[in-house]
Amino acid sequence: MISRRDFLKTSTSAASLLGLSRAVEIRPDPALVHPRPTSDIEVNIGLIGYGPRGREIASTLQRVPGAHLVAICDNYATMLRRAQRDYPEASRHEDYRALLDNPDIQAVIVATPTHLHKDIALSALDAGKNVYCEAPMASSIEDARTMAAAARAVVDEQVFQVGQQNRSNPQHRSVFQFIRSGAIGRPAMARAQWHRRESWRRTSPNQQRVQALNWRLDPNVSIGLMGEHGIHQMDVAYWVLGALPQAVSGFGQIMAWQDDREVPDTVQAMFEFPSGMNMMFDATLASSFDDAYEAYYGTDSTILFRDRGKAWMFKEVDAPMLGWEVYARKDKFYKETGIALLANATQLDAQNQDPTEDDPNVETPLWYALKEFMDNHEFGPYPPAADYQRGLEATVIAIVANNAILQGTRLEIDPALYTLD
Amino acid sequence: METVRLALEAMATRFELVLYGESVMDLRAAGEEALAEIRRLEAVLSFYRPTSDVGRVNRSAHRQPVRVSQQTYELLAQAAEMTAWTQGAFDITVAPLMRCWGFVRGKGAWPEPDALHDARSKVGMQHVVLHRNERAVSFLQEGASIDLGGIGKGYAIDEAAKVLRTCGVQRALLHGGTSSIIALDAPPQEAAWRIALPASHTHACGDPPLAVVPLKGQALSVSAAWGKAFEKDGKSYGHVIDPRSGGPVQGAEMAAVVHDSATTADALSTALMVMTPDERRSTTEQFDKLKLLIAYGPRGVYAEGIDLHAPAQALHHHA
Repeated sequence: MISRRDFLKTSTSAASLLGLSRAVEIRPDPALVHPRPTSDIEVNIGLIGYGPRGREIASTLQRVPGAHLVAICDNYATMLRRAQRDYPEASRHEDYRALLDNPDIQAVIVATPTHLHKDIALSALDAGKNVYCEAPMASSIEDARTMAAAARAVVDEQVFQVGQQNRSNPQHRSVFQFIRSGAIGRPAMARAQWHRRESWRRTSPNQQRVQALNWRLDPNVSIGLMGEHGIHQMDVAYWVLGALPQAVSGFGQIMAWQDDREVPDTVQAMFEFPSGMNMMFDATLASSFDDAYEAYYGTDSTILFRDRGKAWMFKEVDAPMLGWEVYARKDKFYKETGIALLANATQLDAQNQDPTEDDPNVETPLWYALKEFMDNHEFGPYPPAADYQRGLEATVIAIVANNAILQGTRLEIDPALYTLD
Repeated sequence: METVRLALEAMATRFELVLYGESVMDLRAAGEEALAEIRRLEAVLSFYRPTSDVGRVNRSAHRQPVRVSQQTYELLAQAAEMTAWTQGAFDITVAPLMRCWGFVRGKGAWPEPDALHDARSKVGMQHVVLHRNERAVSFLQEGASIDLGGIGKGYAIDEAAKVLRTCGVQRALLHGGTSSIIALDAPPQEAAWRIALPASHTHACGDPPLAVVPLKGQALSVSAAWGKAFEKDGKSYGHVIDPRSGGPVQGAEMAAVVHDSATTADALSTALMVMTPDERRSTTEQFDKLKLLIAYGPRGVYAEGIDLHAPAQALHHHA
């Protein structure tokens, strides 16, 4: 009797013979998904900003080979006490300049509130450090352009990577190839949503601290939901679609949190792409219904991303057979059936794991992004997947969209904003 | 004074939070941050998530030491300590036995001798090595695994309570699945939060409780195995596995523990379900400010520092 796994093996090679090689092509290099566990190089890292995002980065670094978190900086004593408890071996600093002055630190990760990125990143580049800067790169287009120019000036000597982490994620890369190879037919439209019920308020017994903590609700520096979440979804969109949006219409409301805030808690935006295709985006802090996802609708099928890069394909009944989908895992979504797109099915098969199950070894998008940053110390500097140019483009998209949302209008995006010079 | 209530589904249960204070906005912000901490800990401690510390340890620790976060390491070290203090009655490596006895999803079944022998060989903290300097974990036995289910909820509410205090919240109650409860200061005009312990699993609203526990600045943990049993050759076996014997015991139906630390209370209430009275005495005398109540079903109730609602039921009642 032939097992399902053997059958899959046989059928995969048969599919290749018949020229239906797409099923194999969409799987990335297994070494990308399962990099070797040890690293030849050791990198001393300084982390600037120890809020929730900084803590997430710190804990992820613990499992990135070769990464040594040696210094943590935060300008709030409570956060530094927490850093001492979490990483007693790392030195602690209130002023990031002290961290930059340490010649033993090769790399710096910037995880402060967005509007503080520019000064820190510029100083870090100036101090000769390799820089990983969280997304959005900056809260103003001028700042983003200044940072991009500074990164470009040292591109042959130093690494500058932006935290648009999905660009390093093998799951996203694999589906990117899949969509680009025409598997959805002719792209018709796309949509993305981010829904969560939370106030975005932060509190502290220290009143000065309250103001600093609530930078997301400060209309002078915040890019709103577009900057905090939409940027990652639009980053994937213009990457997958292969073109930058040229105009955006936006709407924003305060629907849930009547606490004198000015930053909308519910937003909608419509992005226009050069092909004539539109993408809809909505985000809210009022409702958690259906969480976050992105969907790309084509004439043959629709591809859905959710749960940190997991992807499913929903075929039209009259769409051509791709061959391999017969053996792929199917998941029910109410009345629809999604065909799971796994980034590394062949690799799992080689390891005697069921290729229709999720890969137990798969890491988070942040881990892959930090791993790419570490690899760049070993083999680079080369332009990271999310380099200064991608950082600038995504920041421009987020900021112009946020402006459209605040004004409730349609804004064209000047193509010159996307490029330096 | 304002009140805010929040909830979160995490760790396969429901966490709830009640906060008292001056500003609804601030209370809500503090509560959200505390719940975010629980969600973050779930991602690190989950037995089921491949990317969690526990998932990575269980997958690879028999091949090489696996580095974990400081919080995970701290909790594992505490779990190992609790195993020592409870003479093996609390054990985070017990999962293979639970599966072997069919208690994970099924109703329980007598295992094949080979399967039982195999499961027993994988259970015990002697298989787990904690590397303090590297903050890493390794297993000496292939097939060994750790599951922080018996202690993770307590740890999560301990950490969430720290977040609440940092945010300036003074009066609050936080629980995970009603089995792990932590109280900050009492509500206004109250001396303490009052937590009722049910008299049985069929306890209905309005029935007299077994006891009402006043709680303030402390944690309460309740373990229970109400009525769950399976029969073999006319004998009934409960759903409580003693990690030391490898089999089900006719232990307690419910064990409740009050202690400063919810993590410690969680581990102790689990251990007390299978302990003999001698073991209980030698274990509990090692802890300060401990209160406990153990219900043995028809065999009565043992209480220490907790007043029974209907004292007539008491087996040994220490005032």
